[in-house]
Amino acid sequence: MAALPFYDTADISALNDQAVILLKLFGARGYTRQEPSILQPAEIFLDRSGEEIRRRTFTLTDPSGDELALRPDLTIPICKHAVDSGASLPARLSYNGLAFRYQPNRPERPTQFFQAGLELLGLADAAAGEGEILGLAFESLRAVGIQDFELRFGDLALFGALVDALELPTSWRERLKRNFWRAGYVETFLRRLGDGAEKAPSRAEVEAALDAQTLGAPAGRTREDVIARAMERGAEAAALRLDPAIAGVITKLFGISGPVEEAMRETRALLAAANIKLDGPLTAMDARLKAIAALGLDLSKVRFTAHFGRNMEYYTGFVFELWAKDAEGPVQVAGGGRYDTLMQSLGAAKPVSAIGCALRTERLLAARKFTGVA
Amino acid sequence: MALTLAIPSKGRLKEACDAWFSAAGLKLELTAGARGYRGAFAGLPGVDVMLLSAGEIASSLAAGDIHMGVSGEDLLREAAPELEGRMHLVCPMGFGFADVVVAVSEYWIDVSTMADLDDVCAAYARTHHKRLRVATKYAQLTRGFFAHNGIADYRIVPSAGATEAAPAAGLAEVIVDITTTGSTLKANGLKVLDDGVILKSQAQLAASLSADWDAQTRATVEALLGKLSAAAGSALYPALASRLK
Repeated sequence: MAALPFYDTADISALNDQAVILLKLFGARGYTRQEPSILQPAEIFLDRSGEEIRRRTFTLTDPSGDELALRPDLTIPICKHAVDSGASLPARLSYNGLAFRYQPNRPERPTQFFQAGLELLGLADAAAGEGEILGLAFESLRAVGIQDFELRFGDLALFGALVDALELPTSWRERLKRNFWRAGYVETFLRRLGDGAEKAPSRAEVEAALDAQTLGAPAGRTREDVIARAMERGAEAAALRLDPAIAGVITKLFGISGPVEEAMRETRALLAAANIKLDGPLTAMDARLKAIAALGLDLSKVRFTAHFGRNMEYYTGFVFELWAKDAEGPVQVAGGGRYDTLMQSLGAAKPVSAIGCALRTERLLAARKFTGVA
Repeated sequence: MALTLAIPSKGRLKEACDAWFSAAGLKLELTAGARGYRGAFAGLPGVDVMLLSAGEIASSLAAGDIHMGVSGEDLLREAAPELEGRMHLVCPMGFGFADVVVAVSEYWIDVSTMADLDDVCAAYARTHHKRLRVATKYAQLTRGFFAHNGIADYRIVPSAGATEAAPAAGLAEVIVDITTTGSTLKANGLKVLDDGVILKSQAQLAASLSADWDAQTRATVEALLGKLSAAAGSALYPALASRLK
């Protein structure tokens, strides 16, 4: 049976008092509070977040047969509303409310929990947006009495840039970007590459092969889509192998994890040895670290993990977590990042830059209590 | 307390199951007439045999409602995804062979591996802003296998029957289904991916770890497995005993 929390007077008062502090801070920084409905149309989560979130989402069918979900987060409903209502951008939005997630194999974890959060939508200057959200996340922790915390982050964009710098067919790059965080993936991937001996098929050959399939249904794909990908796949098999030295660099880079300054030194050394230039992303990383230090967080409290991936699949670039300590040890009290494709997937006409963060307020309280003790 | 053992109530699985127990000297006698759904083994007291559907047997084992049961490994693993702590597979029975597979339309000539499917799933999510649908009655097995292959951009649509018709009917783009010869899939214009075999299944004798195991049922199961061990060629009870708390 799932863990179903019960809040007694002391618990709920403490949570409410803390929420007042956080919402006041958000308001003072220009963030407008919103409260989406707890029940949401199921498909807005299920179509966007993939099966990993689907298996953790409580869904139900209303008496008329419509499929609803208890919101597993507040980001998607808030972004959906911003799209549907044509909110003027940039928009600064905040929330404080319950989210619900089934916890497979972790019956001790609560299936409902409070989240307070921020969404910054449509600010073109990505670095400024990141600084603003990180800064507010730090301020939030300090405002509720947590001074000692650690930042852990990764940046999908850095590895996107690395992969783009390699001489690879487009589809291979896409695969690496999608799967870079998976242990052992690169090795498996390299084994799959062609040996250059095969001949790429002609369009006529591919069309003939497709026309020979009389029984199969198109199953959601167009003839042109199938032909294009079949030709691409044939061309890949005929392409050259990836230089083993480059392959080694990718594997090593994906494995980097540690205190941020050390991790960046290691990254630079690896790139230099492989003669790969990533000046843009590396300069951006330097600027980011300066900004973090300026926000009052000592860089010894910052960890970089190359394969850092959040399991909410809509994140697209910078992703981060804040960790504090409670009586049981380190605990993640906040998380967030960039999700530049979400607004468009919810119906926005063009891409909207977006970054946000969510605070786990019950864990904040536990961490606050622990600082009181320690 | 009697040891409850559920066996399939009809079809080839029932006949093969009867023959398998008979070969070990355990003759099933129905207690409520030939059309009844309860029985016992001649010469082995304390076993209450129940005839249920293979699906009910799997879920009853997972829930701990019965001590032992015979069902397809596909259904057992679907009912208790990790098996750990919930079920113990006592012994494969050598019949009821079938594979749980990932199948796509033969029209997809560019897709023959899970890696190809990963590409197509990602491209579909990008162009359609929604996930490619996988029709199946094996949601748990599908999730585990797709995660193992690093595929995230899909969603499962539950299918109660005739799953092989889903792609042509426009209800899903991909299916995960059980097949013995593959001829039904082929007749529906579908092909199994080269590395798309999720499980090579067969009938299994399984024990529920969450059922109520008292001293008497333990003694009964030791006697039962003692008879079956000779036929299976290895001692079956010690492995189960070590799993029972």
